[in-house]
Amino acid sequence: MKSYKDTLVYKQVEFSLGLSLLYTVILGFAAMDFSTFAVQPFILLLAGLNGFATIVQALLTVKIRKDSKKSLVINRISQIIAGLLILTLAIGNLFLVLSSLYLIKKKVSPGYVYAVYMVLTDLLVIGVSALNLFKAYVTNSFIPAMIVLLVILVFHVIVLIGYDKLMALSPGSKKLFLLLFTLTVLIGNLFVLLVSASMVQDANKAITKRKGIREKILRNQASMLGLLFIVFLVAISICSVWTFNYRFAVTNDYSAILQPPNLAYPFGTDNFGRDVFSRIIFGARISLAVGVLATFIPFIFGGILGAISGYYGRHTDNLIMRFLDILYAIPGILLAITIVAAFGASTTNLIIALSVGYIPSYARTMRANVIQVTNLEYVEASRAIGNRNFNIIRQHVIPNSMAPMIVRATLTIGSAIIATSSLSYLGLGVENYIPEWGNILRTGSSYLETKPYLAIYPGLAIIALVLSFNFLGDGIRDATDPRLS
Amino acid sequence: MKKKLLSTVMILGTLALAACDSITTEDQANNGSSNSNQETVEIDLLGAAADEKDLNILRDQLTRNGFEVNVNQQPDYASYRAQRDAGNFDVSIASWTTVTGNPDYAVRSIFSSDGDSRVIEPNTEIDELIDQAAAQTEGEYTETYNQLENELVTENAYIAGLYNSLKAQAFDKNLINPDSVNLYKSRAFAWDPVSFNDEAMNDSETLVLTQMESDLTSLDPVKGNDSSINQLNTNMYVRLVNLTEDDQVTSDASLSYNHAIAEGNSDYYFILRDDINFASVEDGQAVDTGERVGADDVVYSLDRASDPESVPDQRTYSLHEYINEVTVVDDLSELETAELADGNTTVKEALESGLDTPINSLVTDKTQADNATGNYQVVKLTTTEPFPQVLNYLAHQSAGIVSEQQVESVNTYDIDNYNVDTDIAYGDQRAVTEGDTYDNHLFASGPYIMISKNDYEATFQKNPAYMTDTENAANIENITVRFIGDMDSSLSALRSGEVHLLYGLSETQYEIVEGEENLELQTGDSNAVSYLIVNTMNEDRKTAGSVDLRKAIVHSINQEDFIQSYDGQKKKAFSPVSPLVDTENELEADADLVQDHLSKYLEQAE
Repeated sequence: MKSYKDTLVYKQVEFSLGLSLLYTVILGFAAMDFSTFAVQPFILLLAGLNGFATIVQALLTVKIRKDSKKSLVINRISQIIAGLLILTLAIGNLFLVLSSLYLIKKKVSPGYVYAVYMVLTDLLVIGVSALNLFKAYVTNSFIPAMIVLLVILVFHVIVLIGYDKLMALSPGSKKLFLLLFTLTVLIGNLFVLLVSASMVQDANKAITKRKGIREKILRNQASMLGLLFIVFLVAISICSVWTFNYRFAVTNDYSAILQPPNLAYPFGTDNFGRDVFSRIIFGARISLAVGVLATFIPFIFGGILGAISGYYGRHTDNLIMRFLDILYAIPGILLAITIVAAFGASTTNLIIALSVGYIPSYARTMRANVIQVTNLEYVEASRAIGNRNFNIIRQHVIPNSMAPMIVRATLTIGSAIIATSSLSYLGLGVENYIPEWGNILRTGSSYLETKPYLAIYPGLAIIALVLSFNFLGDGIRDATDPRLS
Repeated sequence: MKKKLLSTVMILGTLALAACDSITTEDQANNGSSNSNQETVEIDLLGAAADEKDLNILRDQLTRNGFEVNVNQQPDYASYRAQRDAGNFDVSIASWTTVTGNPDYAVRSIFSSDGDSRVIEPNTEIDELIDQAAAQTEGEYTETYNQLENELVTENAYIAGLYNSLKAQAFDKNLINPDSVNLYKSRAFAWDPVSFNDEAMNDSETLVLTQMESDLTSLDPVKGNDSSINQLNTNMYVRLVNLTEDDQVTSDASLSYNHAIAEGNSDYYFILRDDINFASVEDGQAVDTGERVGADDVVYSLDRASDPESVPDQRTYSLHEYINEVTVVDDLSELETAELADGNTTVKEALESGLDTPINSLVTDKTQADNATGNYQVVKLTTTEPFPQVLNYLAHQSAGIVSEQQVESVNTYDIDNYNVDTDIAYGDQRAVTEGDTYDNHLFASGPYIMISKNDYEATFQKNPAYMTDTENAANIENITVRFIGDMDSSLSALRSGEVHLLYGLSETQYEIVEGEENLELQTGDSNAVSYLIVNTMNEDRKTAGSVDLRKAIVHSINQEDFIQSYDGQKKKAFSPVSPLVDTENELEADADLVQDHLSKYLEQAE
């Protein structure tokens, strides 16, 4: 019988193979200029190397599958091949690095997997920040910030390599280490939290055999990829304060108008000579903040209203739900447009406008869960021993109704981000010189035919973020669904 | 193992530190200099959504010069205008197009104390200069307008020019004969010269044009002066004179054969053609009414154009306030005695030049006019003051000639109790809109007449009795004007062949048009100027109280940035007069001057 961890490795190897193939094909297309049939040699070389690595990975996959008929343990040769494939980091193929790091480890624990993702995030942040080196000048805090990032990367790599040894540390020094380690989350790399949580909980593994969301979600590679992208954006949003120059994103430079993508301006420049790459990086901050806040606010208000309405029922229920039904009847985006038009375009108004529209759907979800939970025996028991309503709601009802709400929240962050960008696109969101993805897309849209990259890159950024949240939402749903475990 | 790791880290660290030396930081790049030592001045910048690009450039330039800019971008023109009229701004973007092609129009309504859309505080010096220039002829007024511009921009910093736009149109050159398409600087696009490459198609094919607005203000020339009717009315009503492509007044393709200015610049004479009849619509077809366009119609049309009370909602009288009297000349000796400014030619000679038959007699009844036998009609216009630029106003669509008999028979409502919902006045779009209210009462004196309209398009037919058998007769039989709300969709329609000609493209669209093989792009100068109003209308604003602050704002503007940002498709403009009069003034961006004025302003403020 296969154990779960081995299955995870197999799945990851195949998943990485697919992604690596995709990456190679995209590079191949990027290397060709179809209008002139000219070839960019550097990108073509990169594509060729990636193609080679992908073939190696494919052969490795076949070999592992064959080997698994005899033994589930990954053998020495496979591990050496995998170890060599880590070198694909140099050609930017993070997917093969990911699967190789799984393969070379004898025993893959959830903590180790998160540590792998943690290091990948560090690499991405450093790599993207390093692109600033091609600019005429960098921001003043660039050098110290990069040194800090590199030191943290080295620290994280040490954690990755010595994961098992660190687990075996004495409790006292382990506590000290964990404290130091957890502090590195300040660069926005949320995987650090997951790694330290794994370190604490895996040590007590003997006590609980049940798997939590943190462990179950690992089985869903797509959602892990989504999580990687989200965490990367969070980290780059925080790090960009010190590593990116805001001037490039907002100050007009008339000598560099509408430049095609090059090393100094990886995504080109817009019609005011602003660096689209910097704008997208700074825009991530707004999109994430608005997306998360516009989900968090209705989550709280909708949740409370739904809980009250579901628990007390009858007239309370009727009153609250009918009021919310009225709100429900107004199309969300229309409501948002009305609010923004009435109170003016600003980030705060945008968040409020989007939040209001989402309240009813959260309330409905919460109410349905609460009604279900309220009728369960433990709530009845709690009531029977004379517990007060407020305590029952707080201690029993809400915690047991949260799972579907969390799933809903991750899924609606995506639509909130789209709504933010749509409103900005219509000129109703954030002030239009501020780098926000919808704004960037809007500027690009008037050059759709002549300079398509101006619209494609912000468009891809929006798609990637929304897809990531949707994948993550799917993963969380699967992980919390008892029928699927 | 640990030692190895440590040494690797050490090596990497040294490498990184070594690399740091070759990186330039912002401070090194700027040599540590910055403008942040001065107190910033907060200013409110107003504009409409359509001005987004200009707003951004201005925000950027003002911020660089030490201002803290709050951008107030209104979603549409109406709300922008409401904010502007309420005076809620320090600096506002504005635009002005001199549709008449003469400088007086450009300055009078926006800068004179009694102008209908004044944007600056009343200033008697400026008023005097405007009046002085109005009485001068083209050669003389350059210096006066130069002084006026200096008063406006250099001395008082009321306004500052941003740029002068180009005008562009594109059409399908495989279909339309490129030689027949004109691009006028001021005048709306004239349809009559346009012809298909294959002239046989002129009778059978419909020419499809486009405009943005589907809601037409009024098809009565004096009841509208905006882009919804400008092109349509220009082609439906003939005028005494026309403007050429470069804004010279001409009698070509107009109601007059010739025109003459008598000595003193107050009396203007026009000799009328006898080969234009009004057209009307019967059963969806344009027909000749048999009624000639004559001198009494001219007198009637110009009288009502200059009289604010002639119709409810008269919107164009301010253009014609210089008209004192319009009369039909019946005494030939008047023409023989009146002389032109040069003193050698009589008005009669001037009017007769180039005519096949000299003037034999003058008739007052238009039905008696017969140019072949020498019976002509002559109209005389006198101005309240010597004002040579009046001819430009007569070339404007609001001076289009309507039929006295028809307009009077339609406008039977009581003017004092006019109700826009129940009374249908002459030119009301409801009369030509398909449906219950359709009752086409139009009498067109121009080359085309509107048959009907709906929300998507308006259809036109050639006037069958408009200068027939002359080169001025319209070529194409049927014309349709599609209403397409935005320029990007219009361009798509042009590329797909749904529309044949597109007027007024934006700069970003040039490249697309140039990339299409079957399209031809024409660009030319225009009189459209974008300028900046510095608020002096609202006394509560800090800009109204300090000329130093205003100068600091004006000198922050760098027109080069605008031109570069519009890919070189704009020209410098010092004031709204710039495209009309070559005063050679230029606005220079000067950061040091800005700092000087700003520190003076801050000193005063303390």
